[in-house]
Amino acid sequence: MKKVIVAAIAGLFLGVGSALAQSAPKFEEIGEKAGVRFVHATRKFGQRHKAQVLEMFTDGGAAVAIGDYNNDGFDDLFVVDSDEGTSHHLMHNNGNLTFTDVAKKRGVEGGNDPLSICADALWLDYNNDGHLDLLVARFGTPILYRNNGPNKKGVYSFKNVSKATGLTKFGNTIAVIAFDADNDGWLDLMLGNYFQPENLLDLKTPHVLPNNLDYASNGGGVTFWHNVKKKDGTRGFEEMTEKAGFIAHTGWTLDLGHADLNNDGWQDVYIAGDYGTDRMFFNKADGTGTFEEVTESAIGFDTRKGMNVDMGDYNRDGWMDIYVTNITDEYMKECNMLWHNNGDGTFLDLSRETGTCDTDWGWAAKFGDFDNDGWEDLFVVNGLRSAGETNYIPVLLEMIITPNVDFSDMNNYPDIGSMTWSGYQKQRLFHNLADGTFKEMGADAGVDNDLDGRGIGVGDFDNDGMLDMYQTNANQPTLFFHGMPVNPGNWVALKLVGTKSNRNAVGARVMLTAEGETYLREVNGGNGYAGQSTFRLHFGIGKAQKIDAVEIRWPNGMVEKLSNDHLAKLTNAISTVQEGKGVVR
Amino acid sequence: MKRLLCVVTLMLMAANMAQAEEIAVIGGSAALDKFEAVLKIEPNNLKYGNDYRQVVIKINKVEMYNRCIAFFENLTAENPKAPNAWMNYGYAFVDKIPVEGAITQVLLANTALGHFSTALALEDTWLGHYTRGNSYVYWPAIFGRTPKAIEDLTQAIAHSEKAEKLHSFHVRPYIGLGEAHWRLDDLAKAREVWQDAIQKFPNNEALKKRLSLDDDALTAFLTIHFEPGKRVDTDLTILWEEE
Repeated sequence: MKKVIVAAIAGLFLGVGSALAQSAPKFEEIGEKAGVRFVHATRKFGQRHKAQVLEMFTDGGAAVAIGDYNNDGFDDLFVVDSDEGTSHHLMHNNGNLTFTDVAKKRGVEGGNDPLSICADALWLDYNNDGHLDLLVARFGTPILYRNNGPNKKGVYSFKNVSKATGLTKFGNTIAVIAFDADNDGWLDLMLGNYFQPENLLDLKTPHVLPNNLDYASNGGGVTFWHNVKKKDGTRGFEEMTEKAGFIAHTGWTLDLGHADLNNDGWQDVYIAGDYGTDRMFFNKADGTGTFEEVTESAIGFDTRKGMNVDMGDYNRDGWMDIYVTNITDEYMKECNMLWHNNGDGTFLDLSRETGTCDTDWGWAAKFGDFDNDGWEDLFVVNGLRSAGETNYIPVLLEMIITPNVDFSDMNNYPDIGSMTWSGYQKQRLFHNLADGTFKEMGADAGVDNDLDGRGIGVGDFDNDGMLDMYQTNANQPTLFFHGMPVNPGNWVALKLVGTKSNRNAVGARVMLTAEGETYLREVNGGNGYAGQSTFRLHFGIGKAQKIDAVEIRWPNGMVEKLSNDHLAKLTNAISTVQEGKGVVR
Repeated sequence: MKRLLCVVTLMLMAANMAQAEEIAVIGGSAALDKFEAVLKIEPNNLKYGNDYRQVVIKINKVEMYNRCIAFFENLTAENPKAPNAWMNYGYAFVDKIPVEGAITQVLLANTALGHFSTALALEDTWLGHYTRGNSYVYWPAIFGRTPKAIEDLTQAIAHSEKAEKLHSFHVRPYIGLGEAHWRLDDLAKAREVWQDAIQKFPNNEALKKRLSLDDDALTAFLTIHFEPGKRVDTDLTILWEEE
């Protein structure tokens, strides 16, 4: 009896202790050990005229895409390289936090040919066959690899179906997302293009750079591709950029994001533009897959250097918010934008108020509850070019202030040589303090490296319920952060499988309630610059043990509520939910 | 006859001054017409140019800033020896900065500096050195213009020391000079300048504020103060308010 009382008291204290204990994100960098350390190489333009300038403006391509290509329950990595002849890496997850590069065996390592530069990648199931296909975006034509699934020996293979699916149009594509614009059950594609469709590797004109550094209108805009059934019964894509309402956007697109921003059940779009305004488009919600531009009324026009779009409900008010990175440095103070969704079709930038304004020269940013405390944190990578001691900015300034200089002419830009430009900037991890503000704690979390960050992929690679992160860097080694939070909370992970809706359930919205607290997540198809995160929805639920309710609004409009039997299985587990059938695994 | 016309116009102008704010709110174009008419007669009138710009700022529309810049462009082209027209031309660029993007802001600030230099070349004044020096202070140290700020602001102080009367506005280059030293991370020197100034201007709140802050607080305060894109006060009314 005494033992029982002692145990009860100890338990009580433990309970009090854990109630008081502060959770916090924490990571261990294990790239080398996991076998996923790669040094990305941006495209070199050799000895050609103004090669350095072209290299400066194409200083991206370090991208990562996360997806379980072989349906073994462990997310795999696809890591993009960019220099001529370099190979990508398809990192098969061995299930024990080690990976094996199978890119060459699966035939997906190529694409960096003499006239094309690989810049981004996306996993998607474009033909709803249950196997993730792979799209490699290029300054060139895209490459779509169809996943053939396993052969009799269980070995997976891919086939290049770019031509067969109609994806043969040249573009200087730097971002790609997939979502179902018309909710017809098939994933459509949106490509974000930086330059106009001039081949930079075979230039006919030097006038390929932005015509204005605040209001540029000579970029590549976007293209939009509707997923269609071809005559032979297979799936392909037809361009409908103009019909969809995107043709007027001619800015320098750096990233794309989608979510249901006005809670009407249809996916809306945010375009982050360099050298000019970002743009927002609301789905017309009539099943035509067409959009209305709402930039002026929703967010207003800006002149910033938008580089990232991620979406999440950071304040848990049931509306998706948006995080965009810009340039904030000694010489330019643009501030990032945390677009708080007002719920009435308008958004308010609360980056200053939330403490997420200044991340230096920002690139990718991702929401994620990295300590499972029930609130989504933010990881932001930064830095353009870390090199020698001399700073390029004063040199560039002399060009910028030259009277009547033509910014579009690459001949006018000074070579950068070994100079640094916004380099050696530390990455930031903003811990959500659950009061509408964030606290920067990159150093404490172990992620404050000063590499030239580009992309972030977030996933749970060892299925332990803690989010991990993969960071890509331009011309520098990649980093792999294993999530090991301090005093983490409980969690729920859901893999959604569409049947009438698209197979990846992109656009599905889940409202999960645990012990009175409600959490919102949406499945997205590639939000965030140069990085696709897992399709799985990850919920930190803090100290809660019991799930009260899960409501899933599938892209086709069906609302499904999980039964109590199913709810009881969810805590601290990865569950697969099939449309109309509830938890199936 | 011309003299009479001028006087009448100026009288009309004065009568309309009180309504300037109201006019600005309801549209502004007519008010600007009147200011422009007067300035064409008296291109070197610093005050009228200043009042004209203040109306433009109240309207706060890109097209009006552009109109103002275009007006002074023509005015200085027609009156290249009028230093105050060049000063107001420079200020017109500074006034437009808050409504522009980050790179355009740099271009506007740089163009303004050129016009202030032209004014100074025509007439060596306290205002010219203070204005150009203070403009240089706004440039982050990385651009290497802070030493020029120190040079100009030191000269502005020298001007004020030779003035018949020390006016309250003469404190401004002292404030700017301290801020220039702050730009160069020399907070001790900044405080030395302000400490010297407070002996001359014991009631100045801006000096008191700066001297009351510790290093971190001062840096935080000035970082916000010098945030690019914030409106810089170019209203010169203080110059004649004391007269």
